Amino acid sequence: MAPTKAEDPTKDAPPALSDMGESIDKSTFEQILEMDDDEDRDFSKGIVYGFFDQAESTFDKMGKALNEKKLSELSSLGHFLKGSSATLGLNKVKEACEKIQHYGAGKDETGTVAEPDESASLKNIEVTLKEAKEDYSEVETFLRKFYGETS
Amino acid sequence: MLEDPSYSEIVRWGDEGDSFVVLECEKFTKAILPKHFKHSNFASFVRQLNKYDFHKVRQNNEENGQSPYGPNAWEFKHPEFRANSKESLDNIRRKAPAPRKQAQHADNSVPTQQIDLLNQQILAQQQQIQHISDRYAQLTVDHQLMLQEVMRVQKTVLNHEQVIHQVMNYLLSADARQRRDSKASATFQTPGQASSAIGPSQATSMDDEPSSPLQHASKLLSDMNAEIQFNLTGMDSMGEPAKAVPPVVSTPTLDPNARAGPVRPPTSTGGNPPLVYPKMNGEIDPVVYPVGATNGIDPMYSEHVNNVPYPMPAKPEIEDARRQFPDNRKKSTNVDPGWIRSPQILLVEDDATCRQIGGKFLYSFSCVIDTAFDGLEAVNKIQDGSKYDLILMDIIMPNLDGVSACHLIRQFDRTPIIAMTSNIRSDDIQLYFHHGMDDVLPKPFTRKSLLDMLEKHLVHLKTIPQGMEAQPAAVTMAAQTSAPHSVKEDSSPAPSPAGSMNNWQSPGQFNGLTPGVHPNLQQVQGQYVTTTPAYTVDQNGVQYPAHPVPIAAAARPPNRRQLSEMSSAADNPNLAKRPRIYAQQPQMVNPVQATRTG
Repeated sequence: MAPTKAEDPTKDAPPALSDMGESIDKSTFEQILEMDDDEDRDFSKGIVYGFFDQAESTFDKMGKALNEKKLSELSSLGHFLKGSSATLGLNKVKEACEKIQHYGAGKDETGTVAEPDESASLKNIEVTLKEAKEDYSEVETFLRKFYGETS
Repeated sequence: MLEDPSYSEIVRWGDEGDSFVVLECEKFTKAILPKHFKHSNFASFVRQLNKYDFHKVRQNNEENGQSPYGPNAWEFKHPEFRANSKESLDNIRRKAPAPRKQAQHADNSVPTQQIDLLNQQILAQQQQIQHISDRYAQLTVDHQLMLQEVMRVQKTVLNHEQVIHQVMNYLLSADARQRRDSKASATFQTPGQASSAIGPSQATSMDDEPSSPLQHASKLLSDMNAEIQFNLTGMDSMGEPAKAVPPVVSTPTLDPNARAGPVRPPTSTGGNPPLVYPKMNGEIDPVVYPVGATNGIDPMYSEHVNNVPYPMPAKPEIEDARRQFPDNRKKSTNVDPGWIRSPQILLVEDDATCRQIGGKFLYSFSCVIDTAFDGLEAVNKIQDGSKYDLILMDIIMPNLDGVSACHLIRQFDRTPIIAMTSNIRSDDIQLYFHHGMDDVLPKPFTRKSLLDMLEKHLVHLKTIPQGMEAQPAAVTMAAQTSAPHSVKEDSSPAPSPAGSMNNWQSPGQFNGLTPGVHPNLQQVQGQYVTTTPAYTVDQNGVQYPAHPVPIAAAARPPNRRQLSEMSSAADNPNLAKRPRIYAQQPQMVNPVQATRTG
């Protein structure tokens, strides 16, 4: 995209957001960055790190619910994490969570076709949860770097 | 009679007192019967006795040879007929024949009753049938009305559709033209201070992103089309006439030269552009028109002006002269949409991330925020008497979901409630509205969509900025822009009329959206002004932008042009930085405005 970052040199120094094009929706994330005060990134950092905690605990809960075969709980956990990841523009994580939400609701991954077989749904969730965690750790690594952590 | 001793030779009680005996049949018949029974027929008397269940006691002649009362004696017995027990007489009734007669009566009466009953039933059924058929007729009429209504709505929708398409087409063509034009103009604008800086970046961006907002909008449109088509299939038969309508709307809007007055009428189905258009046209030299349009639409133009952080000579005075906005907009991020007072917003959201971000956004819009973790808390807060100007309500929440919460709140409170959700299928949305929600803010929301929503529902809290002298124009403008919106509103949170009006009046908000752009409002303001001269250069080819102040402060047309600048400025960030989110809305508004401005 056009050279619009000139006004914000700090953004280019750490890994560029645009490198994460698929995982992070730039515009969504940037509007959060906008809300930071002039010099530091305390606000967005707080939110992002808050999200890390939230995501990790949600993944834990999902793992537990998966073991206990609680589909509906998986669905609502998926919905929950979907909302926060979408708000941050973390597309991949969001999509995975959405799938989990649908699977948990006894549907296929798009949420349109019913999937009557619970064990199939659980299996799907298991796979998707793994993907979600991978996607998440990708953005997490990136964002931690972005906020100047040397991981 | 039996006790009468004078008759004892003829008739008397039997020896055991449980029967009576007629000893002298002939005498009894002749002397007693006439006296007591008004006839003299012994056989008849016996028959009567039989009827009352008296039975002749058999004389077993073979065994006893003689009856104790004599050969001619008739002894009659009845179980209840005893000497000295008159009370039991009541129990002596006519037997068989009588019951049989009664039974016959019953037989006769039962059918009549049944017939009556049946008649009544038939009547009732007839009434019911009558009722049903009335109802049916009523429903048929209603159905007809509904059909008509649906068809009408379809027509309207299609018309709107058409209008949007035309606007889109026009915009696309205008955009293409503008890119051409601005390329040309950029090259010879170099002397101008602002434009010189703009030139290069502008050129690059033009090549890089040929009106991505436009494309995005068209995509959006076609998506919506598909949806509508889908809806129509359900009522194909009715749909036919409606589908026949579109031809009414012509497509000449594509023609850049024709887009002046005459072509507008088709578009007017959606709004009232014609009202504004001539006006504009009257004020602006016709020759200017194309250029003006160009300037208005060109989003890269002021965008890059925005992003180039160099001082704008003319800005301070102009800022002062034209608008005295409160200076609390130190940062581009802190937009003051110009509230009379800070709106009180209740943010109901269970997800901490959304809550924080939403809260922060609202805060940046100078709102006072209260939050609730779930529907229950929200209902409690409102029940406890907290007053809000607006409630933003997540739908899926623990304890009490947003729809139920809204339903409860609606029992006693009319505060606008906006559903904030990612579930925005049409039936979902219907459900929200059904339970009293006022609007839907699709998740993930953006600052822009949030602000639009606020402005739409908090119009009453808005100040009327100065620079509002051109109010009529502004109003019509709003009307114009609102038309396409109303069509679009469902698929994307388009700015409300109020929003767009505001955006016209105080571009600052939109500029405020420019992400991470440091220039404060004043700069932005200055940029507008400087671009105005730039445009003057365009139109005259030679003139240099020496005196932005007079133009900006005094002249109206430029003023309007600024408007388009402003809106395009709002566009810019989208182009460069947030092509996905913002693109949809400013897209819809600004070009429209720009079009008219031109």
